Amino acid sequence: MKLLVVEDDKEAGAYLKRALNQAGHTVDHVADGREGLLLAAAESYDVIVLDRMLPKMDGLAIVRTIRASGVKTPVLLLTALGGIDDRVEGLEAGGDDYLVKPFAIAELVARVNALARRPPTQYAPTALQVADLKLDRLARTVTRAGDRIELQPREFQLLEYLMRHAGRVVTRTMLLESVWDYHFDPKTNIVETHMSRLRAKIDRGRAQELIHTVRGAGYCLREGA
Amino acid sequence: MFRSTSLRLAAFYTAAFALSVVVLGAITLLTTRATLKQQFDARIDSEAAALAQEFRTEGLSGVVQAVGERDRTPGALDYGLDGPDGAAIAGRLAGSRAAPGWSTLRLSTAHGPEAIRVLTTTLPGGYALRIGDDDARNDALEQTVVAGFGWAFAGVVVLGILGGLGLSYGVHRRLNAMSAAAEAIINGDFSRRIPVRGPTSGSGRGGGDDLDRLAATFNRMLDRIALLMESLRQVSNDVAHDLRTPLTRLRQRLEASRTARTAPERMAAISGALEDVDAILDTFAALLRISQIEGGARRTAFRPVDLTALARAVVGDFAPSAEDAGQRLTLEAGEPLAVDGDPELLTQMLVNLVENALRHAGDRARVTVRVAAEGGGAVVAVADDGPGVPPAERERVFDRFYRLERSRSTPGSGLGLALVAAVARLHGATVTLADAAPGLDVRVAFASLVRGATLGFLNVADSASSARMA
Repeated sequence: MKLLVVEDDKEAGAYLKRALNQAGHTVDHVADGREGLLLAAAESYDVIVLDRMLPKMDGLAIVRTIRASGVKTPVLLLTALGGIDDRVEGLEAGGDDYLVKPFAIAELVARVNALARRPPTQYAPTALQVADLKLDRLARTVTRAGDRIELQPREFQLLEYLMRHAGRVVTRTMLLESVWDYHFDPKTNIVETHMSRLRAKIDRGRAQELIHTVRGAGYCLREGA
Repeated sequence: MFRSTSLRLAAFYTAAFALSVVVLGAITLLTTRATLKQQFDARIDSEAAALAQEFRTEGLSGVVQAVGERDRTPGALDYGLDGPDGAAIAGRLAGSRAAPGWSTLRLSTAHGPEAIRVLTTTLPGGYALRIGDDDARNDALEQTVVAGFGWAFAGVVVLGILGGLGLSYGVHRRLNAMSAAAEAIINGDFSRRIPVRGPTSGSGRGGGDDLDRLAATFNRMLDRIALLMESLRQVSNDVAHDLRTPLTRLRQRLEASRTARTAPERMAAISGALEDVDAILDTFAALLRISQIEGGARRTAFRPVDLTALARAVVGDFAPSAEDAGQRLTLEAGEPLAVDGDPELLTQMLVNLVENALRHAGDRARVTVRVAAEGGGAVVAVADDGPGVPPAERERVFDRFYRLERSRSTPGSGLGLALVAAVARLHGATVTLADAAPGLDVRVAFASLVRGATLGFLNVADSASSARMA
């Protein structure tokens, strides 16, 4: 994927660029808000990673400007402001995701991957399918190889999120935010517990496991190893 | 002193009163003068009519006799009777040749010159009858009136000035005292308070006047500021203290990684250091969150939140983990109970309470979350059957970084209950710790419920960030 990173801290920007390159992305890095705005409007990127506090221009102003000019590229806002209102403000300005500094680089890579627009054929509004696992969002049913699987409401939400991001790594924090709507970090391992119960229902006794643990990063639902 | 508001006010009132006295005096003087003249004239008119009657019945000799008698009576009017030729017949005023009607005669007497107001009437046969009286008697009365009002004027002015000085001195002194207290506070004496006269009740309604109430209000404001400053100072101290331990550990690990002989040793040290950094960052995040909540800005995001649904969701999310750990987490709740609040913060509050109970109540603990209507409001309570908290420490567990002695070995930042207290305060709810015999019962009591049609739109999981990535 082709990414734009707008980050004024030279060292942090270079580190982000290197890490995203290693994750297989092409990265343009600029340190200046105005330059970032010009590139974001002129070039075609898959995801824009934008520091919220930039010299000369506020990151939020950049998001508003490019959204007003019709650019729909997903934007991941990076910020040192971790307040609830700051997050809401960032999303309302047109950001698609919000990551509070400091963060693990694996978290950033996972979120960038999750943000990239997927080909439209893979996404149907009511039914999701990965291998022989099917999820019907309207009937709220899940089947594997035709067998009906009963899930608790949270397990259903968890599976739906994994299937919508099939093939991509989702982190524990992403799951907490999206499935539980917890914007804080509970000390209890509720993600792990629910994941292991979901796994037991989806994968136990099956020839092929679909839910995989990605060490040091999170989880991934995909066909094959 | 002349720049004093109260003195200017007193001067203004004094001037207004003095002017009123002058106007009142003038009106009184004019009416008195008119009335006296009227009475004077009426008296002389009736006397003239009486003597004219005497003349008609008794003839000239009767009148002459009457005039002679009255002239000798002390304090009576003055009389005069002239013949048709103008010759004096009887009385003091005889032979003055005044024309008929009212006139003023000037006589010289033993006491000095005298002005006499005289009515001359013509009797049948051309006799002229004169009746008059000394004008000075009226003047004396007028002078008395003027003198009276003069004293009153002087009294008003003197009293006004004295009262104004007294009043402004009193107010000035009290305002000076307030100023001095404020100056002292500016200069760093934060324990100083503005003096208040009279008893002050807790509500700030002073026993004294409006200035006392103002002073009491300022004092309450100062108390609040002092409390905030104290808590700020406390937090800075706590942060400095409590971060020293993990930072020391972090430093040791980094040192260990530098001296590590083998790669796995080095990796272990680095991983440990990362964990330490994360723990420190968690502490920072919790502190920031608490201070943000205490700032109160989140109240704008308030909306009806169904506590029953919220508790059901939290218990549903944590029960599996509790079960895996050999504990039990159950819910006791009935009908929906909505309070006005921030769903995200209320969720975090309940999560903190549940996690706190599960962490401290022990391996086989049973934790119960209760939601119930109570006294027009609602109570969310989390009870466990663990060792509980000694009564003496129940208040302190809500302080930042406070940890019970026996909990020091368990993980936790000591900020969980501080956050619970902050969220409760933001919602106007009260948190109490009770003995669940055995164990601890933490009750969060909300004062009022939200009723009505909005219940249909209650939601827990869907918070403000609906614009989040799909």
